[in-house]
Amino acid sequence: MTVTAPPDRERQEYFPSGDDYQHLLHKKSRRGWTVKMMLLLLLATAVLGLVILLYTIVDDSFGLVAVVNQNEPEDILASYGYDPAVTALSDLNKEQLVDVLAGTVSSGVGRRLERDKRFFEDRLVFESQEKWDEICASDEAPTGCDGGVRDKGDVLELVEERVIAPDIVAAEGLTASILNPNGFKDSVEKDFVENPASYGDYSYDQVRYKWRAWFSWKFVTSPASDKPEIAGVRTAVLGSIWLVFITVLFAVPVGVGAAIYLEEFARPTRVNDFIQTNINNLAGVPSIIYGMLGLAILVRLLEPITSGSLFGEGAPNGRTILSAGLTLGLLTLPVVIISSQEAIRAVPNSLRNAGLGLGATKWQTVRSQVLPVAIPGIMTGTILAVARAIGETAPLILVGAASFITVTPNGPFSQFTALPIQIFQWTSFPQEEWRHLAAAASLVLLVLLLTLNAVAVILRNRYSRRLN
Amino acid sequence: MNDTPESAVAAPMAPTFAVRETGTEPDDDRAVGAGPGVLETVNMSVFYGGFKAVADVSMTFAFNEISALIGPSGCGKSTVLRSLNRMNDLIPSARVEGQVKYHGTDIYAADVDSVEIRRRIGMVFQKPNPFPKSIYDNIAWGAKINGFKGSKSDLNDLVEASLRRAALWAEVKDKLSESGLSLSGGQQQRLCIARAIAVQPDVILMDEPCSALDPIATLRIEELMLELKEDYSIIIVTHNMQQAARVSDKTAFYNVELDTKGQRTGYLVEFSPTDELFTSPKEKATEDYITGRFG
Repeated sequence: MTVTAPPDRERQEYFPSGDDYQHLLHKKSRRGWTVKMMLLLLLATAVLGLVILLYTIVDDSFGLVAVVNQNEPEDILASYGYDPAVTALSDLNKEQLVDVLAGTVSSGVGRRLERDKRFFEDRLVFESQEKWDEICASDEAPTGCDGGVRDKGDVLELVEERVIAPDIVAAEGLTASILNPNGFKDSVEKDFVENPASYGDYSYDQVRYKWRAWFSWKFVTSPASDKPEIAGVRTAVLGSIWLVFITVLFAVPVGVGAAIYLEEFARPTRVNDFIQTNINNLAGVPSIIYGMLGLAILVRLLEPITSGSLFGEGAPNGRTILSAGLTLGLLTLPVVIISSQEAIRAVPNSLRNAGLGLGATKWQTVRSQVLPVAIPGIMTGTILAVARAIGETAPLILVGAASFITVTPNGPFSQFTALPIQIFQWTSFPQEEWRHLAAAASLVLLVLLLTLNAVAVILRNRYSRRLN
Repeated sequence: MNDTPESAVAAPMAPTFAVRETGTEPDDDRAVGAGPGVLETVNMSVFYGGFKAVADVSMTFAFNEISALIGPSGCGKSTVLRSLNRMNDLIPSARVEGQVKYHGTDIYAADVDSVEIRRRIGMVFQKPNPFPKSIYDNIAWGAKINGFKGSKSDLNDLVEASLRRAALWAEVKDKLSESGLSLSGGQQQRLCIARAIAVQPDVILMDEPCSALDPIATLRIEELMLELKEDYSIIIVTHNMQQAARVSDKTAFYNVELDTKGQRTGYLVEFSPTDELFTSPKEKATEDYITGRFG
């Protein structure tokens, strides 16, 4: 088909033709390609940053460690008359292992272990029978009184922890441990020669090398400790989970309620405009400011409530999970409100008209027609906001997260610590081992975050599917 | 106007149903243009803020009649329609002066609840807007929120009757639990009509109900309107003059005038039986419009 120009109009004057046009076409498509490549490069940069971050964390979470055993397993075996060459510690029976333990730990430590959980069903090792009966009859009977017994694996673990008691003197990252294990060993040896003082009584002959996964199930389930060898994040993980619970419980109903009011009921008066502007601004306020607010209002002013003393609970002050959870709730509130408003606004007006046109009240229409359509969007915003709250550190420091706590939090009025706080704490210690623990704790935080997000996303998708 | 809040909405109900029971065969009193007004506007003007969108509309809509509102874009015919069941209340700046009388009661009186009005004067919108719920729930929801007192099987009957009335039952009876959004555009619009009649209004307002539909779906809606006319008063806004000529008993022509400040205000030019309006219009502007000289 040929296109002929209208006779009166000279198109050639305005548009290029022939080679000029081919050149323009080429230039246009080249520019499009360039922009596309630049955008791809930007994406690659972002992905690279994330990969490096994840690599650093994983690299520090596993690797070789140099340990000095307080007691060598060979010596223990030899002292019981076994040949270390043919027998391992795990070949000993439970009675022998308990003997080993009893021979090393102080009687005080032994009694505490026994009160946590008995060694034998039929006899006591560290405690006298009269004393045991007396303790168990008292109001505060320890957990050991309910009759549970440690099995051989538990005792072996205790022997390794308390008798062999490895002391980590140096640690290496995963990559270096695989690619150049001897380099690590040489540097430890060299350091022993150059700085013997920093290793105390140890000599290099005592150093043993072994693999260690800093990130392990045991790490997740162990309470905090001042010894990096046995320190874990149980209290911090539970603290973080409690905080998320309180945060969601506060921020979601309040935030969604406020959003519904602002979007569906509020008339555009000056007061409402003022409130809206302030909510938008609050979303950008630094989290430490919220920490100050939490400290001043929740921890100090509302201490009777946040410490639980008003309800007969016994926290010594307002630095509790409740205070911190509400602070994080306030922090996430603006984001929850704004994203919920966006989701509600995105519901087509035709649905509102349809509902109202049938003689429904505004609330009936909002509840039955608008909210169900908006909920997936509301949940997306809430997930993002809560994910941010889980990683918050600054406000928690201000409202008084405990830096070292071994008691498992058991309610809103407990003292607490949280994973970001634990990570922050550990990275500030000078010894290298803590850095690896911090990396492992970061991994735990990431896993916790991904798990919570995955649950929320699955719930949301299931809901959306039901809707359509 | 009534003195007590109860009578404001309760009083008109009795004659409403009485008329429907006996009024399936129109008698002479309800001949075109002469019937008793279900809905009546008296010098109604609609404002958006300080802007006068429609001025001084006085019309009477009778039972068993289809009234069409036609006119060029921006003449305020949709605004008039939305003022008839207080849907304009949803626009914060909108304001109505004059009166809109429903069975003699001013629906803009202080003691009248717009929720009750919208239930009595239903609406079908330009774009089909079924709820993103099952076909069954699309119909049943309106009944539930209006305090439907019957049993589960009564509700099933209501759903079936409404869908039959909207000529949709045969097509959807095997998939009542499927989403209303799974239907075609024309079916969706009939679902919206079924939804509107399920709450038993006596006036149905239709705002360009066929403008998003193909000719075949349009034809089915038009047939449906002619059937529904026997039980309801129908007021339809349309851009399609042929449609107005085909379905309506009376047609109102609206025009728009520019004032000195350039603001466009709609006004009613004439409201006559459709045959008259299209064959011997009283006004020059009407003739110019229907003969295609402008608009």
